[in-house]
Amino acid sequence: MNSLIQTRREALKSGGLALLPLLIPRASLAFDDQTPMTANGGSDPYPIPWLDKNGSHNQAASFNLEPSHIYHFKGRVARSSTFTGMGTDNHGNRIPFGSPTTDYGVMQGEYWAARAAQKGTFTHI
Amino acid sequence: MVPANQIHDCHPPIAPSGLYWVVPVPEGGLIVSADGNTMTLEMRDVPVVDQPRWPALDSVATPARMSFKMVWKSTGEPVKIEDAAKHFGFTGTKALCQMEAQIEVPSIGFSWKSDPMNTSKCDVAMMGEEVNGRYYDM
Repeated sequence: MNSLIQTRREALKSGGLALLPLLIPRASLAFDDQTPMTANGGSDPYPIPWLDKNGSHNQAASFNLEPSHIYHFKGRVARSSTFTGMGTDNHGNRIPFGSPTTDYGVMQGEYWAARAAQKGTFTHI
Repeated sequence: MVPANQIHDCHPPIAPSGLYWVVPVPEGGLIVSADGNTMTLEMRDVPVVDQPRWPALDSVATPARMSFKMVWKSTGEPVKIEDAAKHFGFTGTKALCQMEAQIEVPSIGFSWKSDPMNTSKCDVAMMGEEVNGRYYDM
């Protein structure tokens, strides 16, 4: 009887140990299957933190307002707004474009994202 | 203020981060003259959405494409904007800016092309250098 219990224990031990070689590769595969995590955040630029009157991270173009649409940024910026012009659609209709909210911008330089300095050129259109 | 007769409004989608109608410019898309007084931005077939009823939250967004060329030329008149509370400073000049553009909204069979660039006009334009956020505080 006793020898039978020992045998069972030994069998369980050896069975348990025997499972390990199978379990280890499985666990390893499970880690390999995980999508790499962006532990430092993405490298996309941050928006300007404050909101406009519509509740958006959208800075108007004006000689007394911040020109950039990217926060944690240093570099070249150009802004423009209140465009007016004309154009033609594919049916030959003359259609004007532009309004006080028709604004554009370009930002080129260094910005901070993913806990590191990044380089890039972006446009607000 | 959006005009009551607005029939199309093409722009990139707002990013999940809140970044507003901002897209990367491919290499070579921005050309700056040697003296820094002229900037030319040109992009083709930028994926955008057409939201005719923007800024209404329920405005339908239809996939569209936009190509454009925009040129800023400095007037030399200085512009300095600084707000320490908002952590930004801009130093540059006023500018003249003109553009030409083309949009296509394939699903509704609509396309539109502007007249040549020299027929467009804008009332507010500037160009220069800006520092904000953590760089402003350095």
